[in-house]
Order: sequence, then structure tokens, then C-alpha cells
Amino acid sequence: MVDFSRVQKELVECNRDKGISGVSITLHGDDLSHLSGTITGPVGTPYEGGTFQIDIRLPDGYPFEPPKMQFLTKVWHPNISSQNGAICLDILKDQWSPALTLKTALLSLQALLSAPEPDDPQDAVVAQQYLREYQTFVGTARYWTETFAKRTTMGTEEKVKRACTWLPSSSSLTQFYLLGRLEINMETKEKTHDILTLNY
Amino acid sequence: MDEQKQKQLNDSPLSSINDSTEDQTLESCDEVEEINDSFLCCICLDLLYKPVVLACGHISCFWCVHRAMSAFQESHCPICRCEYNHFPSICELLHFLLLKMYPVAYKRREKQLLEEEKRDGCFSPQFDDNSLCISNKLSSPCPPTSSIRCSQTLSYPKTHSSRKTNPSPIMDSQNSDELFRCDAATLPEKTCAGNSEVTENVSIEEDDYLNNDLNFKACKVVSIIDALCITCKQLLFRPVVLNCGHAYCESCLAISENETLICQLCRSPHPNGFPKVCLELDHFLEARFSKEYMLRREAVQPKPIYCQKGIPSACLTQAGKRGTLSSSSPSQDYSSCLSGCGPNVHFGAGCDYCGMYPIIGERYRCKDCVEAVGFDLCGVCYNTRSKRPGRFNQQHTLDHSFELVPSISIRNLLLRLIPDQSEDDSSDPDLHDDAPEDAEVTHSTI
Repeated sequence: MVDFSRVQKELVECNRDKGISGVSITLHGDDLSHLSGTITGPVGTPYEGGTFQIDIRLPDGYPFEPPKMQFLTKVWHPNISSQNGAICLDILKDQWSPALTLKTALLSLQALLSAPEPDDPQDAVVAQQYLREYQTFVGTARYWTETFAKRTTMGTEEKVKRACTWLPSSSSLTQFYLLGRLEINMETKEKTHDILTLNY
Repeated sequence: MDEQKQKQLNDSPLSSINDSTEDQTLESCDEVEEINDSFLCCICLDLLYKPVVLACGHISCFWCVHRAMSAFQESHCPICRCEYNHFPSICELLHFLLLKMYPVAYKRREKQLLEEEKRDGCFSPQFDDNSLCISNKLSSPCPPTSSIRCSQTLSYPKTHSSRKTNPSPIMDSQNSDELFRCDAATLPEKTCAGNSEVTENVSIEEDDYLNNDLNFKACKVVSIIDALCITCKQLLFRPVVLNCGHAYCESCLAISENETLICQLCRSPHPNGFPKVCLELDHFLEARFSKEYMLRREAVQPKPIYCQKGIPSACLTQAGKRGTLSSSSPSQDYSSCLSGCGPNVHFGAGCDYCGMYPIIGERYRCKDCVEAVGFDLCGVCYNTRSKRPGRFNQQHTLDHSFELVPSISIRNLLLRLIPDQSEDDSSDPDLHDDAPEDAEVTHSTI
């Protein structure tokens, strides 16, 4: 049984200073055990300027069990799966403490964005890139932020076009990463095809 | 307004439960009382209810601490992650302090928690609200500050409350005598060694009585009397709260190198070394009684810090006293049990006297207690037969009989879990082995 009175207190507390903290929580309908969080990308990182959506599900044991959090916005980060947004963060697993709140957990995610832990990766590909080709990593992460974490009216194709002109290096490896990842995440095969032809 | 409050205070906790009109006043009054941040529970984010102080000095509600504890290994403080494996008793001093300071909010919490307890069928220890006044007026042999009253008077034949009001007529003489001693074991009058201390005690109680009598009609005003050290009978200075819930000044407790800290009031040993100062309470006292606190600060000579030399030595002696193998910390006991060597650990069972959870070593279960939560003792508490009531208001009496419970070995635990495992994942034949890694896996899937 989730302690809903606590959840409600947390929501009020978290949204009171969302302008300063950069994290906020919104409700998903009436169900208090399914929330969605928003964090802003930390300044001075490749995630700067982005707004990241996080899916929050509260297990029955909350707050004695950690909330289940997952990035809905695609993000290029060693500790966050680029495929499904799964997060590798100790406080969301065995280091959870009931004194932590949704707000502190979201703040921790924000901190994770500014301080990746490539030695304990969630996404091995990203972690490899982070360790071996840091500049490429930064470029990719920035590109992903531009593409997925910024609210624009641009369509995906436009974004890709822009990204291709924007990319600092025409490193084939970077393009491989971009396209490889994008391909998986496209909604329709046609779109993937368009993008692929666009670039070759 | 004051009359209303007064009425609520005089009412017993149970009588106000079904009163909806009172409920409304409770809700509306809650905003009037601004609760100090120090007294918000870090887990439920509400006013502390039946506060428990951990050895690291952090406070939380009784149920919040209980739910946050791990049934399978040592627990960690929610705030500082400090390791502990004893569920401390409720700090009565803080309980009554909060009740006095926030009568309306505290009543609301009481009502809310009592409903939850009823739903779960498991109760926390119940205190007598008006104890301070009544006890002194009646000059009863047992001040109800330390008496435990059952909340479910009707559902159980034997209750603490019936004992308290008319101890002799109901029970046979031997039984009531024992019960009386059971209650009295926590009293200063009975446990204070010297006569001088006793008289000192009495004088303070008279003070207390006068003070209460004067203040009771106006409002519950928090005075220094609500925050006295058990040893020096002065305002608590850098308070520490022991496992039994009794509060002392840090400077009033001293242990030598190979000694276990023992509460002067209830004679129960404090496990795992010297406790840390309860800073929230300390800061509150400093702000509230700044003048007296300054005087105390001047009076107390800075003494060497006990923690440094206290913790490791006390751990060792405690481990020895527990009758376990000569390991130095509970976490080692738990991990060694999981790997198949070391003392038995009774997962999910806690000692109702010292609060050790889960129990390491021998476990004795009461055969006569009917409560679902059961009544268990660890080996040491069983042998010392300390006379304190159960953690969950069990109606345990000394004539109940115990049985020794064999612990479930890791192998049995694994064998029990294998059918479930094989349904999901039959490709893991290695699970039959007693290897530590497998034990870890099983442990986490429980």
C-alpha cells in the first residue's frame, strides 16, 4: 500500500520551488502511483537546455521500496540506456532510503547527468564511447539533447538534416551511432528509410 | 478554543475515534500549530508519532522505523545510513513533549495511526495521555509515564490497564505481584540505588505535580521538567537516547573500556556502543530553553568523547554477551549466516525485549501469546528474563511458556525456493549448491 498522504506532500513540496530546482512532478490522471517527472539538463553539460521526461511508478512498498524511474526522453548517457531509458543509479536500487523523496531522486538524476559513472554503465556502447572518444561522446549527447529533449516544432527529418550539417566532425563512427540508434527508435520503417537515403 | 483543546486532552485516545465533529476541529486546528521542522518524521513527512531515536541520534516514528528495518540483514538509518540491528523502544520523553507541544496535531496522528493499526491488527505500545497529572495526584506506586496501557481493552481478557487500575482483586497474588514488578521495573523509585536519589526524585515529582496543576488549565506549556536527564535531574544537555528509550545527558553516561552501557532506569543494556547525541532534540532544547541551556553548558565540563573508544569495545562485549560466535558486528553475523557458517539468524523475527531484529543466535517463541505478531525473545533476553512489555502491545505475561525455535538453514530456504525458481528459470541447475553467491541471489528474491 503506497503511502499516498506522503506522496501528496512530496508533490506539493517538489513543485513549490520547481523554478529554482529545475525538477517538477506532474500527475498521470488520478493514479497517484504513476507520475511523471521533469528535469532540466544541467548547465555546462551536453544536456544543457534540454528538458527530460521521466516516468515514475511507485511500488506498493513505497517509500520503503525505491520508486521505479525510467527516462521517457531519449538521452545519450553512460548510465542511461539509450534504448529504453532504464537508469543505473544506486539510490534507485539497493541504496534507496525511505528518507529520500521523489524530489531528491530527481535531483540525483540531474546530478547523474552532470557526473556520469562510465565504470558502472547501463549502456555499454555509450560508456565505451565516453571512455575512448570523449569528444564524440559530447557531440552525440548534445545532438541527442537537441533532437529529443528540446521542444521544437521541427519534424524528425528536419532535425536529422540539421544535425548532419551541425555535426562538428563527419566521423563515420558518429554517424553510425546516430543512425544505428535512430533506426531502432523510428516509429515507421518508411521514416528510417528516408533518413538512411538522406544520408547516403 | 482552549476548552476544546482541553476536552480533547482529557479524552482518552479511544473515545475520540468515532467522533466526527471533533474530527473537523482537529483538521482545522492543525494549521494553527506550526510544527518545528525538527519534529517532522523524515519518512512519513508528518509530525513524529511515538518517536524512536536510533543509536545515531536520528528520530523517526515507531512504525516508520519498524517498516524501514530489514528482516534479513542489518538495517541502516534512513538519514545517515548508520548500521543498526536493534529496534529501539519509543522515547517517552519525546512522546510526551510532542503531545504537550502539538496536542491537536498529535491527536490527529494518533487517530490516523490507530486506524492503520486496527486495519493491520498489530498495535504499538500505548501510553497514558494524562499520566503526568494523574499519577502525581493519585500518588500511585507506578507513575504512568512508564506504564503501558493496552489499546484493545475489550478484545483481550488480560490487559495492562486493568492491572493498573485494580491490580489485586482480579489476579491471583503471585501473578499480580510479578506483574507489578514488571511495571515497576522501569520506574526510577524502584531502580535508584541510593536513598538520597529517591528523595531527590520525589521532590522533583512534587515540583512536577505543582507545575502541572498550575499549567494544566491554561494550556500545556513545555517546561524544563519535560526534558530532564534521568541521572542529573537537570535540563538535558546534549541528549542521548538509549535503546530502551530513556534519555540522558551525554556527559551523564560514562562507560569504561570493556563495559556495556546499561540504562540506570530500566537496567537494560544498550547494544553496539555509545549512542550519538540526538541533535534535533538538542537544538530544540537550546532554542527553547536558551538561558538554562547556557547554564548547563557552562556547568558541564568538556569531557573526552566516548564514542571513539566506546564503540569498538562495546561491540565486542555485546557480541560476547549475545552468546554468538565471537564476531564483532551484526552485519558479519548476517552475512556469515547467509554463506552457511556462523550463528543462526531468524529472518523476520525480532526480540521483543531488546529489539534485536532479525534475531541472531537462539530464538524463543512464546507459545501462549495469541497476537498475530507473536512474541519472541533472543537468547540473552530469555535468560535474563528482563521484565518489560512487548514491542507491539502483546499481552504477554510471565507465566507464558516458551519454545526454542530452530532456525531455517540456508539450504532449507533454498530448497523451499527452488520450485518457484525452476518455473521461471529452469536453466540454472547451480542453484542447488550452497555457494554464497546463490545465497545472495535467493536472499534478494525473497
